[in-house]
Formats: sequence, structure tokens, C-alpha cells
Amino acid sequence: MASFKTTNNNCFHCGEPNPSDADFKVTIKGEIKQMCCPGCEAVAQTIVDSGLTSYYDHRSETAEKGATLVPEQLSQLAHYDLEQIQEEFIKQDADISEITLTVEGITCAACAWLIEKQLRQLSGLQFINVNTTLHRVVIRWNKTQLKLSSILTEIQKVGYKAYPFQINQQEALYSQQAKSYLRRLGLAGIATMQVMMFAIALYADLFTGMEEEFIHYFRWVSFILATPVLLYSAQPFYINAWRNIRNRTLGMDIPVSLALLGAFIASGYATVMGVGEVYFEAISMFTFLLLLGRLLELRARRKASETSSNLLRLLPSMAMLIEQDQETLIPAKTLTVGQIILVKAGETIPVDGTILTGISNIEESMLTGEHLPVHKGEHSPVFAGTVNITSPLTIRVDKLAQHSLISDIIHLQDSAQQNKPKIEVVADLVSRYFVGALLIVALCTYIGWYIIEPSQAFWTTLSVLVATCPCALSLATPTALTCATANLNKQGILIKQHHVLETLNKIEHMVFDKTGTLTHGDFVLLNSTVYGQYSKQQCIDLASQLEKVSEHPISLAFKKQQKHSVQLSEVINLPGQGLQASYQEQPLKLGHAQFCGITSPLNSKELVIYLTLNNQLLATFELGDTLRKSAHDISHYCQSNKIETTLLTGDISAKSEEVATLLGLDNVSKGVTPQGKLKHLQEIQQSQQVLMVGDGINDAPVLAGAHVSVALASGTDVAKNSADVILLGEDLNKIATLQKTAQKTTKIIKENLAWAIGYNLIIVPLAVTGHVPPYIAVLGMSFSSLIVVSNSLRLLK
Amino acid sequence: MSIIYVLIPIAMLFVAIAVWVFFWAVKSDQYEDLDREGINILFDEDIEVKQKDDK
Repeated sequence: MASFKTTNNNCFHCGEPNPSDADFKVTIKGEIKQMCCPGCEAVAQTIVDSGLTSYYDHRSETAEKGATLVPEQLSQLAHYDLEQIQEEFIKQDADISEITLTVEGITCAACAWLIEKQLRQLSGLQFINVNTTLHRVVIRWNKTQLKLSSILTEIQKVGYKAYPFQINQQEALYSQQAKSYLRRLGLAGIATMQVMMFAIALYADLFTGMEEEFIHYFRWVSFILATPVLLYSAQPFYINAWRNIRNRTLGMDIPVSLALLGAFIASGYATVMGVGEVYFEAISMFTFLLLLGRLLELRARRKASETSSNLLRLLPSMAMLIEQDQETLIPAKTLTVGQIILVKAGETIPVDGTILTGISNIEESMLTGEHLPVHKGEHSPVFAGTVNITSPLTIRVDKLAQHSLISDIIHLQDSAQQNKPKIEVVADLVSRYFVGALLIVALCTYIGWYIIEPSQAFWTTLSVLVATCPCALSLATPTALTCATANLNKQGILIKQHHVLETLNKIEHMVFDKTGTLTHGDFVLLNSTVYGQYSKQQCIDLASQLEKVSEHPISLAFKKQQKHSVQLSEVINLPGQGLQASYQEQPLKLGHAQFCGITSPLNSKELVIYLTLNNQLLATFELGDTLRKSAHDISHYCQSNKIETTLLTGDISAKSEEVATLLGLDNVSKGVTPQGKLKHLQEIQQSQQVLMVGDGINDAPVLAGAHVSVALASGTDVAKNSADVILLGEDLNKIATLQKTAQKTTKIIKENLAWAIGYNLIIVPLAVTGHVPPYIAVLGMSFSSLIVVSNSLRLLK
Repeated sequence: MSIIYVLIPIAMLFVAIAVWVFFWAVKSDQYEDLDREGINILFDEDIEVKQKDDK
């Protein structure tokens, strides 16, 4: 089964190379296997201990790298047990709870088996089903015997991460629709096979002759079999057609419904009265093919929205309430105005409020796009979703969670979404004209024939409606869109709105957010200069060791660089200033110029911090946010395709201009609020079609308002929710891929439409003059649909 | 040939049963995850007992 090999140099569990000094082993089926880290070792050991080694025999992919369980994470999981938190995502029926979780790291069927087996050992578990396509698991359990947190821990033990998440409403609707389409399609398929069988017998009659009695019988049987297809399977077409008529627009479903119902009524009449022709096989097959197209389209859309819901994780938002010197942990949404809460360093502030005591640095990049933490003291306002970096704060709650600044931005996003400019889609336009023309031709045919030969009028009109084959035309666009969407999905580009593929061709202007979109969004060590007798690595090790106590985003930049640990004592974190410790009994300081007593600070656009030992300068470090590699590529792409570019950022620093010059972007607009961003966008949209790329909460309204919007998967949930397209991974080049695919799709749609219309131009005159017998009409229809579908399939490559 | 007056209604009854089974399968979510069930049969159910004996 295993299609990959794990050698001794690679971790048996996750397949990553083993570090030379690592010695982690697990005995699996009597053989000693090397692991790369304690995380993998623990996971593999759990698998062996639970007797689940079959997993290793049958998996077709290596597992994700195991993570060791840390106590903080476990206590975080415990928050999920609170009733008020659970309300959001658990269905409750007496003592039985049901939850759908999204699971990270499911790669193959073996993973599903592993998780199911592991959880079935828990007492109190009633039902579990892992879906490998959706990366989800549905669990039902008895809440008196089992806690949600222990279920989550159990899943983590075998190396997967599970989260409750928010199923977006669109998805719930899609999955309902997909099921109903599948039922309709199944019925239509089974019935069509039967009807075709009798139809072939009836065709045989044309050549050999059949007893009148049998012909009559076969027609009745076909009638009975085709009735549920027409009444049940074809329902969506009637409903859409009716909706079109009520809105006074023309759509493909109108001639489809007319042809279906007309042919059915005529065939029914012919069967009962024993005259004329029957078309039961044609209409059943027609319904089946159309439904197939619709179902495929719906599935592609559903897949995209499911993947995007999986990204919307629900993390428990908790707050430490202080009442009469008592600290209690409660869910943030139960807080009321005027209550006082404690927010420790490193925690996310749960509500909008005012600082009562404490001084700290607060990272507000989520709201403003500016990356450097803001220094805040008593009486300063703080906002929900921002992160308290350096020291504990007590905060008075000013606004309820549902009225916080984030909620305001979400409101702004909703209203932007409603005012989103619409671009007319080619296919709609073509089909509208076509339908209009078709209906007029059909009417003229009827009137014409009524004057010449009244007995033939109805039948000829009907063959015009059937033969003109709305089938190929109505399949032209959806099949192309479906194939393109499926192809993009495979490349990690999720399309949430189908119109994107057509509107993308018209984009004349791309607007980018800076932090987190064009740049990585974290601090990295750009430059370090040494002055004393210590080597560069020694200085970095010293600084990293100091930064270990800090939660500041800067510390992450150092953590990655540290090679050896250093012995330090008396480490003190002075928020807003720097860090201090004693190294070989000499004072070691790390911080900004003033704190370290540097009189001539380095001149740099980046953030500079200094390391001194015994007041002697050892090193200077320049830290900054770096551009993504793909940022250059995408700006080149825009330049060579004559697409105007704008940098739209909340950051006010000079960094914005630098980024713009470096990338060669045409315009810069910096220090803008979410409202300002939306206004700026709307101004551009007066004259140009705009694509917006962003990731933050502050980008959400602009994303919602743009003609086409793209969010990065690493971005915030709010941004992902309002975007039309989500890019998995961090590669901005995907925008170029997206546009190229869009161009190809439009080309294929045009080809399809040209074929369908060309075919109709030939067949319509023949049908109008009454020269098209039913089996030619059916053959022509199937053949042209086939051509259209195979043409669209080219997009999958 | 008159036997078809009996056989065709019986065939239609089977068709009705097939449709009913299909609807039931859709309703019980059997079409939700098509990647997995084919491989499920490969897993041993009783490996746990063997492992414990080894120790």
C-alpha cells in the first residue's frame, strides 16, 4: 500500500530528516524505528500502545510532524468544556452532544481509521465518523461520561489537531442542495436507462414493424417511468424559470422548462390518444444531462466553501474577571459594561475597554496593519482582538463583545458587500439574447404553421424547442467554470464566487495591503553588526537568551537564530524599554538606544536594538518585516500586463514608500483607516475594475467592496469571509495563475457558446421547416453537449 | 410475448426499489466521503490482542 519510503535517515512517522544528534525511537512490530523529535515519538508510541500499528501498513502519505502536548495548550482545551462556549458549536439532545470538528493533518484513509479507533476506546462515545475529503469529524457523545476537552486531547495524542469551527451558512445551503440534486440525478439516471430501453424497442419499430398493441404498451410504460423525472427531477428548472419570469428577465431555464413541459404534455397526449410521436427518452436524458452539469458545478462551489469554513476556527475567548479581589475565568461574551478584567502578557484582549492600571505594549496590527506594538498606559483605550504583549493590565469593559470595534468593521463589511458593483457576465448576456430569439422563432413557427397546416403546428414548434438544444448552450458556461474551479482548487486557490473567473479578465487595477500580504508580517533579523570581542553568533545567542522571557514579537526573530544557550541570571523585563540580566557577573542590556545609554544611535529606517555588556556596546541588531519573494513577481506581472497597482495600508511609517519603490508600485496611500480604505477603493472603482488583495481585519470592508477580492489563508477569519478567492499557502504568484486560468476559461466559454450557437443556426431552419425527425434531434443534442463538455474538460489539465 | 405484461411491471418494481435504496443512501450521507470506504476493509480489527501477547 505504502507508496513512499521512509529510510533510517528520515523520521518513520513524519518523513522529515532526522537531526544527527536526535535519538528518538519506537519499537513498531518488533522493529526499532527512528523518529525526528519527541512529538513524533510520543504520537508513534501512542499508536503502538493502542494497538493501531495497521495505520503504518496502510497509510499512503506520511503523517504531519507530531507536536508535544504542552500544559498551556491542555488548559486552553479545557475552556471548550464550558457550557457558554459550547453553545456556539454543539448540538444538544438530552445528555447526548454532537459536534463537527475540522481536523488538521488528515492525509489519507488510514488517518481516518486511526482517529476513529483511538476515539472509540473512550467510554461515553456514541458515534464517530471521519470524513477524509472534507477533513472533518462528526462525534456524538454522552456529556455526563465524557468531556469535549478529553476528546480533543485524544485526537492530539495521535498527532492531529482538531478545532470546532463555524460552518458558514452558504455551505449549509450548498450541502442541502447537493443532496437534493444527487437524489434528482439518481432518479433521472435510473429512469432514463429504463425509458431508453423501451425507446430502442420503439425505434426498432421504424424498421421492422411491431404489433400496435405492444407499441401502445411500451408508450404507456415510458410515460409512467418519465413522469417522476419530469415532476421531481426537473423541478429546479421550473423553479428557476418561474423566478426569471417573476423578475422579468430571460434565462436559460425558460426554454428548458418550455421544451421539457411541452414535450412531456405532447407525448402524454400522444400516448393517451394513440396518435403522433413520443419524446419520453429525449426529455429524460435531457433532464439527466442538465442535472449532471448543475451538480458538478454545485460540488465545486461547495468544496470551496467547505475548505474556507474549515479555516474559520472557533477559539474560546475567555476573560479573567476581577470581582472583590477574586479572579474568575469566564467566557468573554458574558462580560457586561463596567466589569473589570485582567489581561496577562501574551493574551488577546477580549473586549473594547480602557486601561485602569498597568503599562504595556499592545500589538494592534490586526486592526491597523501597523506591526510595531503601540505603547499604552492608564486611561488609554484598548480594542478587542489586539494582543497585550509585555505586562499585565487591568481593563474596564466599555463595550459588549457584539458592539466592539471589530463588530463595527464587520458591519462596514456587510454594507460594502451589498454595494459591490456587479459586472455583467458574458454567458448571461448571450443566453438572454439567445433565449429571446429562440422564443420569438418558436412563436413565429407556430403561427406560420398554424396558417399553413394547423395539425402540424404544435409538433413542429416542439421540435424547434427540442432540437435547438438549449442543452449545449446551458452547459457551455457551467461546465467550463466547474472544470476551471476544480483545477484551481488543486493548486490551492479556492474560488468562493463563480463570477470571479469572468470578471478577472477585466481587472485594470490591483490594490495590495502591505503587512502580512506583500510582507511576511513578522520581524526578522535583517542585519547585525558587532563591535566588541564577541562573535556575531555569540551576540545573537546572548540576545536570544535575554529575549526568552519576552512575549514581544521581536523575541521571535531572535528565537529562530539561537544556536547555543547561555547562562544568564537575574533576567528582568522592563516593558517599553528593554531587557536586562547579569552575564558573568556583568550587567547585560538589550533594548533601544536610550535604555542602553547609547549617545549616537544608528541611522536606520528599520527598528534598531542595542546589546551592551558593562555599558560597552557589543552589537546592534536591525529588525524589520521582509517582503515576500512572490511580491516582486506579482508586481512584475502587473507591470508587464499594464495593470495599475496601489499600496493601501494602515501603517504610517516611511516603510510603505520604501516597499512601493522597491516593488515599483504606482500609487501609495498610507495610514488609512478601514473606512478610508473603502472610500479610496470606491474612488478607484468609479473608473476602473479593481482586484484587492489583503489579509487583516482592517482589510475586510475593502475586500467585500472590491470587484474581485483575494485573501491569504494565513489572514484573519473576517478577511477570508469577505473575500471571493482564498489563496492557500503564501504564494502571491497564484494571483497570476488565477488570472491566466480565468483568461483560458473565458476563451473556452466563448468557444462553447460559438459552437452551440453555430449548431443552432444550422438546425433551427431545418426544424422550422419541419425536416428534423425526433431521433435526429436527440442525436444532435447529445453530440453537441458532448463536444461542449469535452472542450470544457481541457481546463482540468 | 404476453409474458412481458407481467415481467415489465416486475422490472418497474425493481426500479422503484433501486430508487428507494439510492435515496436512502443519499440521506444517510454515504456519498459524502468517497475516498475512504474502499480502503477501510484493509485494516485489521483484532491487532490489539496480538500486540498485547507480544509484550
